[in-house]
Amino acid sequence: MIGIEHYVVVSAILFVLGVLGIFLNRKNVIVILMAIELILLAVNINLVGFSAFLGDLTGQIFAMFVLTVAAAEAAIGLAILVIYYRGRGTIAIDDVDRLKD
Amino acid sequence: MVDLSQYLPILIFLVIALGLSTLFVFLPMATARLTGVYNPTAEKLSEYECGFPAFEDARSQFDVKFYLVAISFIIFDLEAAFLFPWAVSLGVTGWVGWTGMMIFLGILAIGLAYEWKIGALDWD
Amino acid sequence: MNFATSLMLIGAELGLCLVALVLLLLSAWLPRAAARVLTIAAASALAGASIYTLALLLNGTAGPDANAFGALLRLDAFSAVAKLLIYLSTFACLVVTPSFFERRGQYRGEYPVLLLFNAVGMSLLVSATDLMTLYIGLELSSLSSYILASFARSDMRSAEAGLKYFILGGLASGILLYGMSLVYGFAGSTNFDAIRTALAGELGTGALFGIVLVFAGLAFKISAVPFHMWTPDVYDGAPTPVTTFFAGAPKIAAVAILTRLSFSAFGEQFAAWQQIVAFVALASIVVGALGAIGQENLKRVLAYSSINNVGFLLIGLATGTAAGVSAMLIYLAIYAVMTLGSFVALLMLHDADGVPMETFGSIAGLAQRKPALAWALLVLMFSLAGIPPLFGFYAKLVVFQAAVDAGLIALATVGIAASVIGAFYYIKFVKVMFFDARPSSDARAEVARNPAGHWSVLAASTVLLSPLGFLLTPAMERWAAAAASALFLTA
Repeated sequence: MIGIEHYVVVSAILFVLGVLGIFLNRKNVIVILMAIELILLAVNINLVGFSAFLGDLTGQIFAMFVLTVAAAEAAIGLAILVIYYRGRGTIAIDDVDRLKD
Repeated sequence: MVDLSQYLPILIFLVIALGLSTLFVFLPMATARLTGVYNPTAEKLSEYECGFPAFEDARSQFDVKFYLVAISFIIFDLEAAFLFPWAVSLGVTGWVGWTGMMIFLGILAIGLAYEWKIGALDWD
Repeated sequence: MNFATSLMLIGAELGLCLVALVLLLLSAWLPRAAARVLTIAAASALAGASIYTLALLLNGTAGPDANAFGALLRLDAFSAVAKLLIYLSTFACLVVTPSFFERRGQYRGEYPVLLLFNAVGMSLLVSATDLMTLYIGLELSSLSSYILASFARSDMRSAEAGLKYFILGGLASGILLYGMSLVYGFAGSTNFDAIRTALAGELGTGALFGIVLVFAGLAFKISAVPFHMWTPDVYDGAPTPVTTFFAGAPKIAAVAILTRLSFSAFGEQFAAWQQIVAFVALASIVVGALGAIGQENLKRVLAYSSINNVGFLLIGLATGTAAGVSAMLIYLAIYAVMTLGSFVALLMLHDADGVPMETFGSIAGLAQRKPALAWALLVLMFSLAGIPPLFGFYAKLVVFQAAVDAGLIALATVGIAASVIGAFYYIKFVKVMFFDARPSSDARAEVARNPAGHWSVLAASTVLLSPLGFLLTPAMERWAAAAASALFLTA
C-alpha cells in the first residue's frame, strides 16, 4: 500500500537532488534553472500528496499557483540569461566571476 | 489474471491510426512518382516550419531567438492552467468567479499587447 | 464575507495595480522620452497609496474586522505601518532614479512600472495571513527585483548581478516553499491562525523541519548570515539606484513578514525559533561588521553595513515580546532613512561624464570639494554607527533596551561590542573625506552637479537623522506600539 510517507520520501529526494544540482554543478547555468524547477517539483509533490492525505483541496490550489509562478520565474531566468549571453558570449558558470570581493 | 479483452478498443484504434498515417505518408509519394511530377529541388526538401535542419549534431549552439519564443510560450501556456479548474467550477463560483477570471485574462491581454507593441513577437 | 469591505481594505494595492497596468501600456506606445512623465505618474500613485494607507491606519481597524477575502490578507496596524515605510522608500527611489539612467541613455518607461509591481507585491506580502498570499506577494516582488537588477542591459556587471540574484533568489524561494509544504502537511492548513492552533503542543520532526526551512528561505531574502553571500555581489553589480531600492523596501517587507509569520503562525513554537533567530542575529552583526573591513568599494561596504543592520533588527524579533517588535519597527524606520540617505549620497558622487566614484580613494578630501555632501555623509555615517547625538543611536538604544528587558543580556552585550567594531568603517568614511589629501587635482576628478531631487532626498534624510529626529520619537513609539500590539491581538 502506498501511503503518504512514500510521497514525502520521493519529494525529499527530489528536493535534495535539486539543491545539490545547484551547488555541485560547475558547467552550465541552464542546468541550475533545471535544478530550481526540480525543487519546485518536489514542493508540488508534497503539496498534492498532503492534499490527498488530508482530504483538503487547499494544497492542490497552492500547487497550481506554484506551477504558474514557476513558469514566470523560468521565463525571467531565461530572459536574464539571454541578456547575459549577448554580452559575454558564454553561459559557463566558471565565467560568472566579474563580481568578487 | 488481467482481462485482455477490455483493451480491444485501444488495439482497434492503434490499427486504424497506423493504417491512416501510413496512407497519408505513402499515398502522396506514390501519386507523385506515378504521375511523373516527382522533381525534388533543394527548396522543396528543406525543413518546413520547424526552424533548423533536423539531421546535424544536436549539441550545436542555436539561435538565442528560440529562447525568446520559449519565454513567451511558457508564460501564456501555463497561465492557461487556471482556466480548467475555473471552467469546471463556474457553477459554484458564479459571477464572482467569472469576473475574477475576466480580470485575470485582461491582465494577460495587456501583457500580450505590450509584448506585441515592443516587437518581441517579430522574428527578425 | 463581504466583497465591498475587502476591496475597500486593499484599495491602495488595487490603485497601484491599475496605475501600473496603464503605465505598462503607455510605456510601449509613448516615445522613450516620455519615461520621465511615467515616473512622475508612478510617484504620484505611490503618494496616493501612502495617503490611503495612512487613512486606514488612523481609522484604526483591528482584529477580525481587518481581515480581507476570508482571512487571506489582514490589513491591520502592523501591515499599515510596514506599507507606509515601503511606499515612502519606493517613492524616494523613484525620485532619484531617472537622472542616473538618463546620463547613460538607458532610462525606459518600464522602470517605474517594475517598481510599482514590486510595491504591490511587497504590500501583499506584509499583509499576508496565509501561506499562499505570502508566496504570491513574495514572488511578485522578487521577480520584478530580478529584472531591476539587470536593468542596465548593456552593462555586464548589471547582467551578472541579475543572474546571481535570480539563481540564489530562486533557490531561496524553493527552500521557503518546501518548508511551507511541510508546514501545510503537518498543520493541515495554510492559514496562519489555523497553523498556530494546529502546531500547539509537542512539535513533530516534520513540522520542525518545515519551520526551519521557512526561516532559512526568509533569511535569504533579508540577507541574514549564513545566507548573505549574494548581497555584496548583487549590491555592487546592480545599478546604484536599484541598489538603493534593494537595501530599503524589499528588506522592510521581508523583515515584516518574517515577524508576522513568527508570531501569528509559529507563536506557539517560540522556543524552537528563538534560538535560530538569535543565532542569525549574532552572526549577521559579527559578519557584517568584520566583512566590511578591508573593502575598497563603497557599495560593498554599504552592503555589509546592511547585513550588520539586519542583525540588530533580528535582536528585536528574538525577544519575542511586543516591546521587542515595537523596537524592531522603530529600528526598521530609522534604518530605511539611513540606508536611503547613504545610497543617495553615493549616487551623487559622480564626475561630469557620469562615471561613478565608488571607492574610498575617489572620495578622499571630499570635504574641500563638496562640503555640503561631505557633512551630510558625516551625519549619515555617524548615525549608522550609532553615535549618541544622532538619531541612529536611538534606534540601537530601543533594540538593546528591549533585549535586556527580555533577559537576552548576552545577545545585547555581543551586539554592543560588535557595533563598536562596525563603527570602524563608518568612521573610516569620515576620516577619508575630511582628513585625507584629495587625489590628483585634474578636472575629471571633480564631482559633478546634481539635480534638486537628489539634494532634497539627501537633505530630508539628513535632517531626520540629526538630533532633530528625536522630536518624532513620541509619534514613532505610539505607532510602533500599535503595530506590535496588532500582531499580538490574536495571541
